[in-house]
Amino acid sequence: MSGTKQTNAIRISLLIMLLLLGTLLTAEEISGMEVMEKVYNRPTGEDQTAEVTMTLINRRGNQRERIIKQYQKDFGDVDKKIMFFIAPADVHNTSFMNWSYTQEGKNDDQWLYLPALKRVRRISSDSRSDYFMGSDFTYDDLGERHPSEDEHTILREEEYDGKMCYVIRSIPQHDYVYSKTISWVVKDSWLGKKKEFYDRDGELLKILEVQRVENIQGYHIITKSEMHNVQSDHQTIMELNNVELDTGIDDSTFSERMMRRGL
Amino acid sequence: MKRIIILILVVITISALHSEINHRGFIRSYMGLLTELSEYAVLQNTFDLRMDYRKDNFNFYVNPVFVFNDIRKEVGITLRQSYIDIYFPDFDLRIGKQQIVWGKADGVFITDLISPRDLSEFVLPDFEEIRIGINAMKLNYYIGNSTLETIWIPAFQPTIQPEPSSIWFPNIKDFPANAQVEDPQEVSAKFSNSEFALKFSRMGSLFDLEVMAAYLWDDTPVPHLILQPDNTVLVKPKYHRLPLVGTSVNKTVGGALARAEAAYSFDKRFSSSDLTADGVSKNDYLHYLVGYDSNWFDVDVSLQFIQQHIIDYDDSINQDEFTNTLSFLLNKTFLREKLIFNLFGYYGINDEDGLLRFKLSYDLADGINILAGYNLFFGDEGAFGQFNENDMAYLQVRLDF
Repeated sequence: MSGTKQTNAIRISLLIMLLLLGTLLTAEEISGMEVMEKVYNRPTGEDQTAEVTMTLINRRGNQRERIIKQYQKDFGDVDKKIMFFIAPADVHNTSFMNWSYTQEGKNDDQWLYLPALKRVRRISSDSRSDYFMGSDFTYDDLGERHPSEDEHTILREEEYDGKMCYVIRSIPQHDYVYSKTISWVVKDSWLGKKKEFYDRDGELLKILEVQRVENIQGYHIITKSEMHNVQSDHQTIMELNNVELDTGIDDSTFSERMMRRGL
Repeated sequence: MKRIIILILVVITISALHSEINHRGFIRSYMGLLTELSEYAVLQNTFDLRMDYRKDNFNFYVNPVFVFNDIRKEVGITLRQSYIDIYFPDFDLRIGKQQIVWGKADGVFITDLISPRDLSEFVLPDFEEIRIGINAMKLNYYIGNSTLETIWIPAFQPTIQPEPSSIWFPNIKDFPANAQVEDPQEVSAKFSNSEFALKFSRMGSLFDLEVMAAYLWDDTPVPHLILQPDNTVLVKPKYHRLPLVGTSVNKTVGGALARAEAAYSFDKRFSSSDLTADGVSKNDYLHYLVGYDSNWFDVDVSLQFIQQHIIDYDDSINQDEFTNTLSFLLNKTFLREKLIFNLFGYYGINDEDGLLRFKLSYDLADGINILAGYNLFFGDEGAFGQFNENDMAYLQVRLDF
C-alpha cells in the first residue's frame, strides 16, 4: 500500500515537473508573433486625449512646429483616432481621422478634412506612404498595423536603454511601404522602445526611439518619441502633453461632423 | 458711403484682433501677367479675415474680405461668409451667409450646385473664392456615421458671369444682327422662389456615399429669342427652375481610390436655333464623372473622365449631345512639403482644347508662402480653347496668421 502511495507521489511529482518544464519551455519559445500581439494588445486605456507637439528638425537644425489636439478611443473591433491641427495658421482646422480595425487583413480607413476645400477626402492606401504634414511620420505610421500583416521573427534578446528586449524582425506579407522593420520590445512590459524602418531597397530609412514613458492612471503611455530619417537626416520629435485617459469621450467625436466642425 | 463702410469694417477688425474672438486669415499680394498680350490681368492685394466666437452650443463666424484692385484702382469689400451655428445633441443648425460644398469631384461642378459661383475670372481663382456664400438655413441631422442635410435658400442668387468687356467673357453663338438684348430677368425674392435641397451622406469603412435631391434655379440664364412682328429678334435671358437628383461615391480599390459622381437634371433649358420654341430646348440632362486617385512613384495622381449628356437630343440644340472632358492632377511634394509642384489639366475631347495649370509653391517659413504659376490654354474653340490668348503667368505671396 505504502509502495503504491510512493509510486503515485513519484508520478505526481514527475507530472508537476513536466508541466513546469513545459511552461518554462513555452515561455522560452515565445514566438515573434506572440510578442507583437502582446505589444498590439498592451492596455493604454479605453480612450485618450492629448495635446501633441510635433517638432520638425531639418539637417541644418532649423525647426518647425505643428500643434495638434488628438482624441482616440478603443471601440473593441476598431480603434478610432481624430486629430485637429491648431498651428501653424495655414493648416488651422485641418483634421485627420483614422480607423484601425482589429480584424485581420482589414486595412485602416483614413480621411482628411481641408477647410479651404470644405471637403472630407478619403486617403487612398497608395498615398499612405506620404509624410504626414511634413513630419517624418507617414500617414501609415499613424495607424495601428495589425500583427497578422507581417511575419515576425525573434532575432535575439539584448539590453537596450537599460531594459532587456526582444529584437523582432517583421517582414510584410504583402506589398508595403517598408521592406521590413526591426523592433526592440521590453520583455516585461511589452513596450516598443525602438523601431527601425527599412525602405523598399532594404536600406535603413528611419529610426523611431521612445524617449519618455509616463505612468498615467496606471497605464504606461509613450509621451515623447523621436523619428529620425537617417537618409535625409530629418527628425520629428512628437511630444504628448496634458494626457487624459478614460474620460469617456463621446463616440460621436470620431465622425465627419466633428472633422468639419473642428475645435 | 463706401469709405464709411470700410472704416466701420476696419474698426470692427481691429477690435476683433484685440478681443476674445478667435481670428485668423491671410494677406496676399497677387500679380498676373497675360503673356501673349504682355498686359497685367491681375494686380491685387487681399486681406481675408476669419473671425469666430464660440460660446456653449453657439458659434458665430464672419469672414470679411478686402480686395484692392490696382488695375481698376478700387477697393472691394465682401462678406464671404457670415453665419451662426447652433449645436444640438443630434443635429446642427447653420443660419446665414455660407458656402455649401457637395460632391467628390475635383475642379468640376456636378452635384456641387448649391453655392453659386463667381466666374468673373473663369475658374482660375481658388475654389474657396469662386464659390459665393448664400443666405441659407442648413440643418444637419446625424445618425451614427450618416448625415441628413436639409437646406432652404430663401432667395435665389445667380452665378456671377464675366462682364462683356472682360477677357473671360465667353464666346456665345452670335445673335441675329438686328437682335435687341435685354438684361437677365430677375427672380423675385419671394417664398415660392426659394430653393430646397436634401442630401443623405454616409461615411464608412466600405465606401463614402452621398445621395441628393434638389429643387434649385439654374444659376446661368438661358437666352430666349423672341421674334418680333417687325422681324427683329428680342433676346431675353431668363432663369429657370432646375429639379435634379444626384449621387457621389468613393471607395478604395486595391491601393487606389475610385470616385464617381452624377447629377440628373429634369427639364434643363438649352439654347437652340429653333425660333418657334424661342430658341430654347427643354431636355433632361445627365452630368457625371468617374475618377481615380493613386500614388505613382511618390506622385499623387488623380484622373477624371467627365461627360455631359443631353437626353432626347435634337440637332437644333447649340451644345453637343455628348460633351466629354478629361482632367488630371499631379502633385509632388519636396523638402517635407515646403516645396510643392502641382499640375492640373483639363482636356476637352470634343473641341480638342484644354487648360494646363502649373503651380510651384514654396513655404519661406510657417505661414509664409510664395506661389508661382502658369495657366496655358490651347485649342481654337470650346470651353478652354476660346481663351487661347489668355495664357497667364502669376505670382502670389501669402502670409497666413
